[in-house]
Amino acid sequence: MTALMQPGFWVFILTMSGIYGIFTLGLQIQYGVGGILNFGHVGMMALSSYTMAILIISHGINFWIAAAIGVAVAALGGALLGLTTLRLRRDYFAIASIAFSEIVRYVIYNSDGLTGGVQGSLAIPVTGENYPSYTDTWDSIINRARDILTPIFGEIVDRDFVMAIIVWTTLGILLLIVSRVERTSWARVLRATREDDEVPAALGKNVFRFRFQAVIIGSVIGGIAGIFWGLQSSLLSPDDFLTLVTFYGWMILILAGATKVKGLPIAAIFFGFLYGGSRFFTFWPFSMLDASERAYVRIMIIGIVLIILMMSRPQGIFGKRQEMVLE
Amino acid sequence: MAEFVQLLFNGLVAGSIFGIAALGISLVYSVLRLVNFAAGDFLTLGAFTTFFLATSIHLPFIVAVLLSMLLGVVISLILEFLLWRKLRRTGAGLLALFLVATGVAFVLRQTISLIFGGNSQKFDIDQIKTFEFLGAQIAQAQLAVLCCASVAITFIALFIKKSTIGKNMRAYADNPSLASVSGINVDRVIIATWTISGAFGALAGVFQGTVQGQFTNGMGLDLFLSILAAVILGTIGDAYGALIGGFVLGVVMELSTWDALLGGIPSTYKPVVAFAVLVIVLLFKPEGIFGVKARKV
Repeated sequence: MTALMQPGFWVFILTMSGIYGIFTLGLQIQYGVGGILNFGHVGMMALSSYTMAILIISHGINFWIAAAIGVAVAALGGALLGLTTLRLRRDYFAIASIAFSEIVRYVIYNSDGLTGGVQGSLAIPVTGENYPSYTDTWDSIINRARDILTPIFGEIVDRDFVMAIIVWTTLGILLLIVSRVERTSWARVLRATREDDEVPAALGKNVFRFRFQAVIIGSVIGGIAGIFWGLQSSLLSPDDFLTLVTFYGWMILILAGATKVKGLPIAAIFFGFLYGGSRFFTFWPFSMLDASERAYVRIMIIGIVLIILMMSRPQGIFGKRQEMVLE
Repeated sequence: MAEFVQLLFNGLVAGSIFGIAALGISLVYSVLRLVNFAAGDFLTLGAFTTFFLATSIHLPFIVAVLLSMLLGVVISLILEFLLWRKLRRTGAGLLALFLVATGVAFVLRQTISLIFGGNSQKFDIDQIKTFEFLGAQIAQAQLAVLCCASVAITFIALFIKKSTIGKNMRAYADNPSLASVSGINVDRVIIATWTISGAFGALAGVFQGTVQGQFTNGMGLDLFLSILAAVILGTIGDAYGALIGGFVLGVVMELSTWDALLGGIPSTYKPVVAFAVLVIVLLFKPEGIFGVKARKV
């Protein structure tokens, strides 16, 4: 239990929840507004973080440009997914999107010369004087921020603390932007397409275009989450981007109530605690399990939460039921 | 030529396994309108319980396989009474069904991992013994799988075609309300569907474990999307289509590595071929190779 008393633990949980919160916000605009079942969202995170890492390590490109290109590549990934498969029936699109993210992962896994393959970002080929780290610029930014923040918050300020503040500031800004966007007429049309294709089409709205835009916006947000993911872990591996991660996002989304953004931060923190906290479940009965077994239990608990939520409260903690039973 | 024969044979073996697993998914979809995301983990379940019963408790292999199939059925039925029935009654939407199935997959896979650990296991079967056929090296274990799988496929195809319950299943899949007013016992149809899916899922897992030699707790999950590709290739909801889709996909995946085809792709990319087939079929012929143009839903 002592781990739970350490501020560092809570800072870690906050950082993870913030990153997952950003990730889920991308799903929220796609499903919560557009009714699009994207089960390949983790692919966008993989695209942006790997693009950033490769550009910095192999080509020595400036961090900011590399991160921006990373997010742009995630958007391109969303465009590719949307252009090819978004016209499909809803369930077929869900399946195709899983295939999309798995293809991304397999390609990363098997392109040793580009991505480092199984060995992850440490094996990304370097040029000249470089070495396989992509966080140098970021580290110096963190250090500068630390110097500014230490007088305000005191000794507690470390790398993770600064990271948590940056991640949550970003999440806050994105939440504001998205909740503004969701009050526009654009979002109202998109919401109408969620209920029914034909009525908006009869009113002269191009249903596909609205959905396509939603996928792109969601992918950009997923891409931003990917950048933070890469910076937080400072090491990428293809196994970071299993389809499992997409379902973590879905769990947060359902918990928060998919149609509203306001519950999202709390749901993200709940998930972060479940995800990060369970590795510190060292008390009985969990004390009978070793670390890897606790990891199994963690995912099992997430599965059980998913089942119970969908069985008893599919509208989530903050949602409205009638907005969730739609097909 | 030898390489072609080899790949074709490997493809048929893989295809027979895909076919059996795909059949369960397709049947469940046709009767219950549910894409069972947990289906892959029933393969893992079958492989691991057979391993446990045959290697640790020393039951005869065939008994171990039958008991594993039984366990697959029992778990499928428990889930039906615990979850799916209630979800059907409340008219749960697509997302609820998807996410509950995913949750089930998590729980099942992590339970298997907790019990058997993360290490890879193998059956007590001689993997090395091979013989030559038209220049290709045919493993006896593979041949045995192909033979057993063919028997299983024939049995199940005849069962669906000839037996009363099989006919009821097809009628119900075609038109649920018409089938129930004409006196078909819906509960029996649903139970039969889960029984077939659970039993043959576990059996496919045993076959896959035998062919792979070693298997881990991620075996079924890794195969799931490929199986789903076979399901959609053979028209989702069509049991015979799923069998043929499985064979076609297995052969396509193996032949894609053939040198004669523009050098072939590296064999690590085989799953990508399956995913690509999945996406391409969805794009250009979402109703599958045997389907009539689906109505727009």
